[in-house]
Amino acid sequence: MPSKYMIHTKQTPHRFKAVTESGIIAWEEGCLKCAVCVKKGCVYGVYEDRGLDTRQMMDSIDNQCMNCLRCVQGCPKELIHKSVNPEYKAIGDSYWTPDIVAKLWYQAETGKIPVSGAGYPGPFSGPGFDSMWTDMSEIVRPTRDGIHGREYISTAIDLGKTPNHLTFNENGDLERDLHPLIDIPLPIIMRNPDFGSLSEETLKGWAMAARGLGTFMALPGNMITEALEDFRSSLMPLIGPGPQEIDKGNGAIRLLEVPWSEGWEKAVDMARQQSSSAQVSIRLPLHEGVEKKVISLVASGISIIHLEATPHGRATDHASLFLKDGIRSVHQALVEEGIRDGMTLLASGGLSMAEHVAKSIICGADGVMVDFPILIALECRMCRRCTKGLSCPVEIEAAPSSWVASRVINLVGAWQNQLLEMMGAMGIRDVRRLRGEVGRAMFFEELDRTTFESMGKVEEGCELE
Amino acid sequence: MTSDKKPVLALFYCQNTHASGEDERQALEQKYGDSLKLFPIPCSGRLEPLHLLKALEDFADAGYVITCPEGACRYFEGNLRAKKRVERTREMIKSIGLEEERIGFLINSKEGPKPLTDLADEIMDRLANLPPSPVLGPSVQGRATGSRQRSKGDKV
Ligand code: SF4
Ligand code: SF4
Repeated sequence: MPSKYMIHTKQTPHRFKAVTESGIIAWEEGCLKCAVCVKKGCVYGVYEDRGLDTRQMMDSIDNQCMNCLRCVQGCPKELIHKSVNPEYKAIGDSYWTPDIVAKLWYQAETGKIPVSGAGYPGPFSGPGFDSMWTDMSEIVRPTRDGIHGREYISTAIDLGKTPNHLTFNENGDLERDLHPLIDIPLPIIMRNPDFGSLSEETLKGWAMAARGLGTFMALPGNMITEALEDFRSSLMPLIGPGPQEIDKGNGAIRLLEVPWSEGWEKAVDMARQQSSSAQVSIRLPLHEGVEKKVISLVASGISIIHLEATPHGRATDHASLFLKDGIRSVHQALVEEGIRDGMTLLASGGLSMAEHVAKSIICGADGVMVDFPILIALECRMCRRCTKGLSCPVEIEAAPSSWVASRVINLVGAWQNQLLEMMGAMGIRDVRRLRGEVGRAMFFEELDRTTFESMGKVEEGCELE
Repeated sequence: MTSDKKPVLALFYCQNTHASGEDERQALEQKYGDSLKLFPIPCSGRLEPLHLLKALEDFADAGYVITCPEGACRYFEGNLRAKKRVERTREMIKSIGLEEERIGFLINSKEGPKPLTDLADEIMDRLANLPPSPVLGPSVQGRATGSRQRSKGDKV
C-alpha cells in the first residue's frame, strides 16, 4: 500500500481585512452611560480593542463580530443596530455569491471546512449541482479518526488510457505504452482563471502549490516564463492555435492541452512533435450534442478529454444545460459505447464548492479542473475590476508566491478533506470507484418525476379544493 | 509634489443612495482614477468623525459624506446624526487651521433623488480648486495610490 497522501495545511492570514456580511451601527448620541454598558458584555471582546483600517476604511468591530446580537438586544436605548454590509453585497455575481466567496476565503485561510452550525438553512433544491444530494448513509462508515488516520481512502486518479490487456514482444518482455498513465493523488487539477490581477509571483505560487500537492497547474503555454522553468513537470500548458509556444526538447512537460477545433488532429500532431512523451488532453466546450464529439475523439485515440462549461457551470449554447447533466450524458454515452475505461474525463466550469468535486465525479467525471477558486483563495472579490483596467482592491499581483502557494494548498486541503468525509460516509475507499456511481446520489428532477408523474398533469391555474 | 496634482476625495455614501451599485461605483473609479476613493457604508449614521479625520490624515485632501434626504433614513435618524458629526468634524479641522471645505456632506434630494455618479461629480467639481492638504506632506502623497502597506488597523 502506498504511503498515505496528506495535505499539510497551515493558517495563512489574509493580507487585507476580509469583507464581512454585516456591520455594526452604534449611535453614540443619547447614550445613557450605563454603569455596565452592553458593549462590555460582548463575549468576543469586539468593542475592547477597536481599530480602523484606513486603507479599506474597515472597522475591526465588523470583522470580529460573530453576530450573536447580544449587544443589539441589550442596549436599553436601542442605540446599536446591525446592518448588511454594502461591500459584502457587492462581491461576485449571481453564481459566485458573496457566501460562496466568503467560504472559499475561510478555507484558504484555515485549511478547514467551514462549519455552519446545526441544521441547514438553505433552500431544499436549486439549479445545477444544488438539485443533487449525495448519499452519506453508510452505516458502517469508518470513524473520523479512521478517515483521517487508520483507514486508507484513496483520492488518486489516473490520467490517460488504462490498457485493456498487457502485450508482450517476441522476447517475452512487456511492451510499454508510449504514453504512460499519469497518476495524481487527488482528482483536482488547477487551472488559470479567465481573469485576475496576476503577476509572475502569482503564477509561481500556483505552480508551487501544484507541485506541493502532486497535481498540475494548467495555463496558456505563453505564460510559462523563465520563473516557471523549475516547475515544468507540474505544469499543463494550454497550446493555442498557431505556432507552438513550448520549447523543443523539454522532456519535463508531462501533460498538455489542445483546444478542440475542426482541425484538431493537426494541432495534436504539432503538440506531440514538441513534447513526444506528454499526454494530450483535448478541451471541448460543453454544448448540446457534445457526446458524439467525445465518442469520435476517443475512437481516434484521444485519451483525455476536458469538458469545459461556462464560469457559471452551464453549456455554451444552452443556459439550461448544466455541467452536471453534461457530464452525466457524456459518461453514459461512453459507457454505452463500451469505451469508458479507454479515456479520462475531466470537467471544469463553475466548480465553486468542495462538494462539486464529489458531485462531478458521481455524475461520471474522473476528475475536475478548478479555476476561480484558486484566485478567490487569494482574496479575490470577483469584482472584475482587473478586466476594466482598474486596480485590484486586494492587490493580488503584489502577493508573494509563498503566500499564494500556502493559501491554495489550504483551499485544496479543505476540499480534499471534504471529499474524504463524503467518501467515508458513503463507504467508498477509492475515488475511482465513485465515478459514475449515481446510485450514491439523488437527483431532484428524477425524484420529482418518479413521485409525482403518476398523479397526472397539473393544469395551469388549478387550485386545490 | 507637482501643483497639478488633483485633490484626492474620500467619499462615503449610504448604501441606500439612489443608483449606487457596484457598476456605478466602478464607472466612477474609471472616471476619476486615484483621485476618488469610494466607501459605501450601511447607513450614513455609521460614519464617525474618526473616519473622516483618518482619511485626511492618511491619504485624502477632502472627506465627504452622502446621506439620504431627511426623513428617509432606514435607521430613522442616521442621516441627522451623520450631519451633526460632519459639522462637528468641520469645526475641529477649522480650529486647527485647515480649510473647512475639506470636510462636508451632501444630502440627497427627497423629490428627485440623484444617482451617485451625479452627486460625486458635484463634489468633485466643488473641490477642483482645493489646494493640496498640508497634512499630507510630499512624502506621504504616495499613500493615495493605495501603495502603502498596512496590515493591522491603527488603534483608535
Ligand atoms: S453582536 Fe454579539 S459578537 Fe457582535 S459585537 Fe454585539 S455582542 Fe459582540
Ligand atoms: S479582486 Fe477584482 S480586480 Fe482583483 S483579481 Fe479579483 S476580480 Fe480582479
